[in-house]
Amino acid sequence: MGVDRPNPAVRIEPDLKFIRALNVQGADTLKKCFQCGTCSATCALSPDSDPFPRKEIVWAVWGMKDRLLRDPDVWLCYQCNDCSTRCPRGARPGNVLNAVRQECVHHYSKPSFLGRWVSQPACVPLLLGLPAALLTLALLAKDPIENALGISAGAEERIVFAYSSVFPHWLLNAFFGFFTFLVVVVLITGMARFWRAMKAEAVENGNFTPRKPLLPSIGATLKKIITHRDFAECEASRSRLLSHLCVFFGFAGLSLVAIWVITARYNPLIQDDFAYPFGFWNPWKILANLGGGAVVAGCLLMIWDRLKNSDDVGPGSYFDWSLISAILVVAITGFATEILHYQRLEPHRHIAYFVHLVFVFSVLIYLPYSKLAHLAYRTTAMVFAEHTGRTREATSPAGKMYGVKQEGVNDVANTAAEQ
Amino acid sequence: MSQTLPRSNRRALLIAVPIMIVLFPLGYSLVSSLVAQGAPADSEVFLERPVAEHEACVRETAYMRYHHWELLKQIREDVVRYGIRGDVGLKKCSECHASRERFCDRCHDAVSLFPDCFDCHYYP
Repeated sequence: MGVDRPNPAVRIEPDLKFIRALNVQGADTLKKCFQCGTCSATCALSPDSDPFPRKEIVWAVWGMKDRLLRDPDVWLCYQCNDCSTRCPRGARPGNVLNAVRQECVHHYSKPSFLGRWVSQPACVPLLLGLPAALLTLALLAKDPIENALGISAGAEERIVFAYSSVFPHWLLNAFFGFFTFLVVVVLITGMARFWRAMKAEAVENGNFTPRKPLLPSIGATLKKIITHRDFAECEASRSRLLSHLCVFFGFAGLSLVAIWVITARYNPLIQDDFAYPFGFWNPWKILANLGGGAVVAGCLLMIWDRLKNSDDVGPGSYFDWSLISAILVVAITGFATEILHYQRLEPHRHIAYFVHLVFVFSVLIYLPYSKLAHLAYRTTAMVFAEHTGRTREATSPAGKMYGVKQEGVNDVANTAAEQ
Repeated sequence: MSQTLPRSNRRALLIAVPIMIVLFPLGYSLVSSLVAQGAPADSEVFLERPVAEHEACVRETAYMRYHHWELLKQIREDVVRYGIRGDVGLKKCSECHASRERFCDRCHDAVSLFPDCFDCHYYP
């Protein structure tokens, strides 16, 4: 914000519905804040100018929904809760920003009724029944389509005990491919709306000055995401870094395996040994098992943290728990499918696979409305921050200055620990 | 600084190891496939063709492919429990399917299946 910028009077119209929504989503401590600014001072990720989360807390208290939803800073926070553990009033700024992020997801991902469903425990039967019904319909349509197109079910020459007898590849690829396309469309439009909103807000405040071209910004953001650079700055809840790394790389491995399984069969350059199906000691199978194990371990660690260290990590909201449990069920039913297959249990393995597919499908289609949407919106906000120079490196007068601030923060933490 | 350096090293390791694990199969398959491109095509068939000792198998091919283990289990049950020793047995199989390595093991290895038949029964 420039010094000579006129500072017009702003008439504040609190959005009570918004404040109530935040309350429900875990920010019930919001109004305890007395604006001391300890949160912004202790935050290791906050830039030097216009630091967060203090300003976001004021906006939230005043119900200034529009400003919060157009604010990239909300997404630069990883809820490491260094601020929440040091807040003298117990206002838990980390939880507040988390609740604002949930509102952001519901605001930008259309159609919004799906967002409402995903955030209500009462809708769980509906949310799981829908994919189960769709998948059942697809399976019922299997035989008529196969007869019409002349696809033979026993086309898998090399597999004796195949899953494709009940769930053929063409059906799964077409079914999941179609819904993945829908999800990508929803996410891209949501991200575009979010970007335009952030840009409009910055232009309105007179501080939209691109510092870095778009492509290098995207590159820097991806590097930050893969290395978990900012996430690793957490002091209060370092175990969250480990659990997120487990789930992140587990998912990365599993996605790569999935893409490989679908494409390698049609790739003339690839030898048969490396195309589906795989033996147990095939590198791809090993990666899939390691990835699944990492996802299970990461989810269990997340649950453990929320139950045992809820002061540091935060107790978790429904938004949070629903995603962790869905992903855990996906991983566990995946292993159940594999084990039942090796045990040669004929109806059982198909039932486990069906449940697995229903949960995979739920995680996929509700991605834009669940906490998993952070992979789109956080990335957008991070690219925007790089693009406009809203990063620690860009706002600190010199990189070295930051080290001094960090030392001071650690002193505060140490004295707090001694007391 | 002396405290922060090991931590950043540890984090670099924490990131580098999973990245390498995730990318290993991709690199391994691509490199092996590319190496195999230059080599002469593998003329050997996946399953060895049977020696035409008999006119046909005891059941049709489709049944044998998907259910041979059920047949073998049934024969074992007949012999061990009821003392009915018929004509068919693993020894009979080997008259046409001479090599365990080039016939049985090909599929079993491919799907990581380790049947215990050959723990007792000799099959060349």
